[in-house]
Amino acid sequence: MNYENLYSSLSLIQPEITISVFLLLIVVADLIFDKNKALIPFLALAGLIIASVQVILQVTNTGYAFPFSDVYLSRKGMVTVDAFGAFFKLIIIISSFILVYFSYVSDEIKKSEKNLGEYYALIFGMILGMFFLSSASDLILIYVALELLSLSSYVLAGFSKLRTRNSEASLKYLIYGATSSGLMLFGISIFYGLSGTTNLYEINTFLASHQINHLTLSFASILIFAGIGYKISSVPFHFWTPDVYEGAPISITAYLSVASKAAGFALLVRFIKSAFVTSDDSLGYWEILSVFDWHSLLILVSILTMTLGNLTALWQNNIKRMLAYSSIAHAGYMLLGVAVLSNQGLVAVLIYFFFYLFMNLGAFFIVMLIANKTGSEEIDDYNGLGYTSPFLGVALTLFMVALIGLPPTAGFIGKLYLFIALVDAQMITVAIIALLNTVIALYYYIRVLKHMFLTKSTVETQTVSVIRPNIIFIIFMLAPVLIFGVYFGPVVDFAKRCVQILGL
Amino acid sequence: MEGFPIISLITFIPVIGMLVILFLPKEKVQNIKITALAATLIQLVLSVILMANYNYSAGGIFEESSFQFIDKFRWINIEGLSWIGTVKIDYFMGVDGISMPMVLLTSIISVIACISSWNISKSLKGYFALFLLLDTGMMGVFVSLDFFLFYVFWELMLLPMYFLIGIWGGPRKEYAAIKFFLYTLLGSIFILIVMLGLYFSAMEILPDGQRVFTFNILTMMDQSNYTQDGILSPFNPNNWRMLAYIALFIGFAIKIPMFPFHTWLPDAHVEAPTPISVILAGVLLKMGTYGILRISYPIFPDITRELAWYIALFGAVNIIYGAFVALAQKDFKKLIAYSSVSHMGYVLLGMASLTTAGINGAILQMFNHGTITAMLFLIVGVVYDRAHTRGLNDFGGLASQMPVYTGFVTVAFFAAIGLPSLSGFISEALVFIGAFHVESIRVITIISTLGILLGAGYMLWAMQRVFFGKLNEKWSGLQDLEMREYIMFIPLTIIIILLGVYPSLMLDVMNTSVNTLVDFVSTNFTNISLGGL
Amino acid sequence: MSLYDIIFYLFALLVLVSAFITVTSKNIVHSAFSLMFTLFGVAGIYVLLGADFLGVVQLLVYVGGILILMIFGVMMTNEITNVDIKTGTTQVVPAIIGVGLFAGALTSMMLRTGWNSQPSENMDTTTYAIGKLLLTEYVLIFELLGMLLLVALIGAASVARKEKE
Repeated sequence: MNYENLYSSLSLIQPEITISVFLLLIVVADLIFDKNKALIPFLALAGLIIASVQVILQVTNTGYAFPFSDVYLSRKGMVTVDAFGAFFKLIIIISSFILVYFSYVSDEIKKSEKNLGEYYALIFGMILGMFFLSSASDLILIYVALELLSLSSYVLAGFSKLRTRNSEASLKYLIYGATSSGLMLFGISIFYGLSGTTNLYEINTFLASHQINHLTLSFASILIFAGIGYKISSVPFHFWTPDVYEGAPISITAYLSVASKAAGFALLVRFIKSAFVTSDDSLGYWEILSVFDWHSLLILVSILTMTLGNLTALWQNNIKRMLAYSSIAHAGYMLLGVAVLSNQGLVAVLIYFFFYLFMNLGAFFIVMLIANKTGSEEIDDYNGLGYTSPFLGVALTLFMVALIGLPPTAGFIGKLYLFIALVDAQMITVAIIALLNTVIALYYYIRVLKHMFLTKSTVETQTVSVIRPNIIFIIFMLAPVLIFGVYFGPVVDFAKRCVQILGL
Repeated sequence: MEGFPIISLITFIPVIGMLVILFLPKEKVQNIKITALAATLIQLVLSVILMANYNYSAGGIFEESSFQFIDKFRWINIEGLSWIGTVKIDYFMGVDGISMPMVLLTSIISVIACISSWNISKSLKGYFALFLLLDTGMMGVFVSLDFFLFYVFWELMLLPMYFLIGIWGGPRKEYAAIKFFLYTLLGSIFILIVMLGLYFSAMEILPDGQRVFTFNILTMMDQSNYTQDGILSPFNPNNWRMLAYIALFIGFAIKIPMFPFHTWLPDAHVEAPTPISVILAGVLLKMGTYGILRISYPIFPDITRELAWYIALFGAVNIIYGAFVALAQKDFKKLIAYSSVSHMGYVLLGMASLTTAGINGAILQMFNHGTITAMLFLIVGVVYDRAHTRGLNDFGGLASQMPVYTGFVTVAFFAAIGLPSLSGFISEALVFIGAFHVESIRVITIISTLGILLGAGYMLWAMQRVFFGKLNEKWSGLQDLEMREYIMFIPLTIIIILLGVYPSLMLDVMNTSVNTLVDFVSTNFTNISLGGL
Repeated sequence: MSLYDIIFYLFALLVLVSAFITVTSKNIVHSAFSLMFTLFGVAGIYVLLGADFLGVVQLLVYVGGILILMIFGVMMTNEITNVDIKTGTTQVVPAIIGVGLFAGALTSMMLRTGWNSQPSENMDTTTYAIGKLLLTEYVLIFELLGMLLLVALIGAASVARKEKE
């Protein structure tokens, strides 16, 4: 590798460099301004703004960074910068912006204000890990990025030490995380043992041209899927989700349910597409190597994930737990989009994710405002809240309706594109199972609405007043959910542009 | 009327009203009520104007050119990459003879229900906002000619309905509301999946010669628009048209509600407040049968011919079953609810005949049932408001106590029974004439006539128990009708009598379209394989 | 079986037995000491495979650094040494089935796969090559590991801090 390569590579990973620099700046600022931490969120915002501009530029400015020396001709580099990765980085950036506001409002975080430096440094660590996950095309880089993400999130899950549940969440997250990343590492080593390389494109060429023991390869693929499945909380790697979501500070819970899931999905899609797919056919379906049956595995996992997520969500009384299981179910729907193994499916996943970002974070934000005031996350304590705090009630209703997937909200459009992809691929049975799942989902989402509006308010029901910035913020979250529900052309156009994955 | 988006205005005027209401302060009760009433009244006036300008000779159904008052523009336009094609969704609305009576019905019932809501006191602002949103949803269903748009409106009314029953309903409101919601959502996922299947089977030819998949309902009716290998294409030897038809039919049947999917209806009716019962029976149930006529029939004429017998059978079951269960009721409102089940059976029977008389009768029955049942629910509302009970056996001798009220009740009851010179008679007679003509369903038709007898039985029996006999002393303080109730009852009574003596008023509107539909269903999509089952 | 193989199996046995003791022993000092043997055995296998640099690093960092630190920690916290740690086993049967299946799959996989192996005749020292690679082709990962360590440090500080109401 010569210097020219290095410079061009560095220019391709600008957002990551920005994030790293601001991570260091935050650490330094934390040391300098020992007493006053008010500056740190703004420093974080500045970093995010710069990074977001750089990410948007990546939609068109694509290429391979950190290529290997020319001993191996086909090597395309360790980092693949393309529109697909940029889309997920954008999702991560947007949710990070939202997270900064979340943390600014959250009581849990305010109580630990003197540790705000650590908090933001760790969040930037997460962002860095997720950015690399979205564009990594080398197994070693994938592993290191995954560890960076996991390590930061373990600590953040237990950031607020005032409740024991926090530490419990953190420890549970750590144990499950260590196990699954161990499994993944084992899978990576098998891949290396088979092919002698860790580069996904190299692996692709190798798999296409050599006879391989299918059992071994399947085993390794499943092990790697274990690592990814843990991040996107798919069955059977989902056990940590409800406990961690319930125990972690609510801002981190919301962030985990969107950003870290986005990174997991980006990784899954890129791993499959770069290592196993030879080309797209004219209709957008992927010509996948017959060495491992990703189609069946993904369908099985996604159906299990959504059904289990939805059925378990029915019995939850804590709204954070309910949203945790609902996020498991949503991961199932999105996995179904991947399982189609076509560009249509991928477009559906991207669209779904974009809308999911707003509706899920919006719901979490309102739950947090209510918890700030009442100190409770039990659904039973929401009785009559729709009357005492009508604005929050209506807003939460709209987010829930979007999560159910009813028109005219954006949630419906996400589901619609998913089912379009499924029907086009003639996966009718699967589509029907997924649709029946949305009927189940209706029941537990509507339960929250029932408590808010249909049940009489009790004496204890408090009025949750909302200050103006929060109102503006909620409207800002609601706007995409409602506007894109009736005019979704731009989002779909953008998603279609971003479905191009480099490397085929 | 050129260029004036009257249909869109009719559909969205309630939403405008809703927005106004949302910005009114909660305390301005009177302003909120008046805004809601104004919105529904404007809608009614516009509908009447629409009716006045309606061209009776245009057929509609499958030809865009013979639809009237069309509002159409590209709503979503996504330029395709090579693999997913161009996605274009139209905002496409228009009326023909099938939707015109429904538009009129919806606006009439909305005004009546709005007046009937006058004494609602709990969370007034939310109530009227949801009420108007519901109005838009219903109206949108009746005028949409793009499947996607249709579906959006179809789902749009679920949530307002859930809250309207759930917040302002009776003691078991939560159960009734969620049951309604789950049933209809289950039905609509069937509709959704068929919609997507059709989307991938029919292609529209754009002016520039490009062929794109489409949600346009009219495009889906033309056999030549189907692709060779589409999953619901008649050209595909392994097509799923039969299954899709059944799925779609179930989706609509839940709304009708057709036996055995009817169990949500009695619960919803009993728990809902009077105005919502009026809307539910007056308009919502018609959406199911309308959907079958608008979508199932012309898009799947082949399967329709094949399954007409079963539709008739289910119609007969509805008639007889509904009537028998109505006989056993002790609750006034439940009785009316089950009579609805029975009366919607006539609509199914008429539709299944596939004759001009039968389908004319079915649509007229939809309109008449809408007005008559609305009146019946208002009648229950009047007595419930005063006595706070609905038990049929709790009353007696009300005729002497409330003579004017009893007069209106008599008109409504006799109309429901199908007494000549009242509107119910004409539509039921047409249904039976149409159905009797068709040899294959003649036996079913003959059995169904039993329903008239039973109908007379439960109606008259109920009347006797409530209004005649000795006056229960408990109710000697009951007042007769007040002004607001006159305003609700008189227009409905006029319509019932008018359509009873001069049914052509409505029949002429629908006749051309019905002829077109019958002709279309019996001649199109012939000689194609019925795969899938 | 050559001498090479015999040495390999000896080291492997050392690793397995001491690892078993580590997790089953009720005395934390015993656990810590047997962990040392595990790490030492792994270092031996590294050397045997020609990964001399890795072997030395393993010895220096794990055995020489981390483990000593741990044992110091154990010994200086005087209350820990006498406490019996809970090492009970629950769900034995499902665990045996699961692990057995896993082991079976692994074994059959190991035996049936044609691994992409390199001939081992020229065992050059690897230090130079590793150093060069880390600062050229793998420089990104090298730097990223730096960030990872930083984050780990911050995280450790965060975990260790106490918070008062």
